[in-house]
Amino acid sequence: MQPTHPMSVTLYHWEPNANSGKPMLALAEKGVPYESRYLDLLQFDQHKPAYLAVNPDGTIPAMVHGSRVLTESTPMMEYIDDAFPGPALKPRDPVARWRMRWWMRFFDSYFAPSLSMIGWSIFVGPAARQRPAEELAAAIDRIPLESRRVAWRKALFNQFTPEELAESRRRVLFATLALEKHLSGSTWIAGDTYSLGDINGFNLGYALPLSIPEQCNDIKTPYIMEWLRRIYERPAARETWAKGRTQLSSRIKLLERNPGA
Amino acid sequence: MLELYTSEPNTFFLKPLIALAEKKARVEIRYFDATSLDQFAAGFPADLESSLQLEREGPLLIHDGTVICSTSFMLEYISESLDGPSLIPADPYEAYKTRAWAQYLGLQLGSIVPVLGCAKYLAPHLASLDQEFVDRRIAAIEPIERRASWQALRDGTYSAAYLAGVNQSLVTPIARIEKALGEGPWLAGPAFSAADIDAYAMVCVLPDLAPAIVNAQSTPRIVDYLERIAARESVREALANAKTRHPQHQFVPGIEASRWG
Repeated sequence: MQPTHPMSVTLYHWEPNANSGKPMLALAEKGVPYESRYLDLLQFDQHKPAYLAVNPDGTIPAMVHGSRVLTESTPMMEYIDDAFPGPALKPRDPVARWRMRWWMRFFDSYFAPSLSMIGWSIFVGPAARQRPAEELAAAIDRIPLESRRVAWRKALFNQFTPEELAESRRRVLFATLALEKHLSGSTWIAGDTYSLGDINGFNLGYALPLSIPEQCNDIKTPYIMEWLRRIYERPAARETWAKGRTQLSSRIKLLERNPGA
Repeated sequence: MLELYTSEPNTFFLKPLIALAEKKARVEIRYFDATSLDQFAAGFPADLESSLQLEREGPLLIHDGTVICSTSFMLEYISESLDGPSLIPADPYEAYKTRAWAQYLGLQLGSIVPVLGCAKYLAPHLASLDQEFVDRRIAAIEPIERRASWQALRDGTYSAAYLAGVNQSLVTPIARIEKALGEGPWLAGPAFSAADIDAYAMVCVLPDLAPAIVNAQSTPRIVDYLERIAARESVREALANAKTRHPQHQFVPGIEASRWG
């Protein structure tokens, strides 16, 4: 396959965190230059007409490559690996590739929704509630997808029940232990080589030692801690997290091996 | 050696059977009755990934001892590891569309269709089995999310109002498929791909389960699409593995609905 496309790349993203950080780190690992369009999630930039013209669903991130528009972050990472030159971010072996994809789905659909429910209840919700209630209600009305309207309403008006949050905490712990078990027998998510699975997992997990310090630390989860630090040492991760503008992405500093050095 | 642990060829179980037939692969079929909880008997193959997979029940492909689960990624594995026609387009953007469709269909229809099918067919079947046996098998299921999905059917948890809401949640994904089929004969590009297998396996039962939403008047392109795929030799070969007269009535719990909505 001819990997070169003489077309520019524009990435619409928020902080290097969760879904936005996945294509940011993948592009940095491939050495692909891109035009960065930062959208402020807390100002609802992603639901404004200028962005809805790019992605009518109003979800972030979105990547535009020539005339091609991509809006699903995990398949987007596979596209970045398939379409551009640079180091391969998928293993060659089909079993290892399958394992990479299995873990990405586990991260995206089991681990992340529970972790983000907690994150939204303590970070996104309170930050957005600084603004007038009627302004928030109008902002929610502009969200195109019903499922996203429900999610934002819950976060902005703090409608998570104690049972929902307790179940999310249980799942985060369960998933953390499953990941620790996996990494105890595997250097990277897909085996011997760094891959999109690690990029995906890092965006989800880089702040776990801060989110659940009692359960994710050098004593309880040494393999996760070492894996996170190894990824943070990569130049592409340094470069990507330097693009962060809020305290959310600055949490990554806890992964420094020599804090203060 | 290639072995496929499969139940009746419907929904998740139908997908790899079609893909393997497209590849003209030689496979040993290991048949089990998922509706009667055979997969929880001692000695049934299981590992960390298969026990935590988000599709919960579903087929297992065992390739020289390695267990491959989760059907969308199983299709990619079949495409990449076996001789025969590729099921993933070579063009990176069409490959992206294939994966984006697989993810969307997997998470949307993969959570909706099994609920409707289980309520109609599996719940009465479970009630017809020896109740002590059913309770004993269900009590031993891990993890608890997987156990809860069976327990809900055992307890008759699904109300008519709940099922009407689930039925209604088909409207958006079905409209997306109908619209996409207006742009070309197949979902991801000019050729039949894994995205079409993912779609067919879930949509082909909807004229029965949701006739008000999928029918010749409301969704003419989908009805035509289903007929075109049903006519493929691979689909006929896949369905030849059926051991009951109505494989399209065989359902097991699928993907959990989003906990955010």
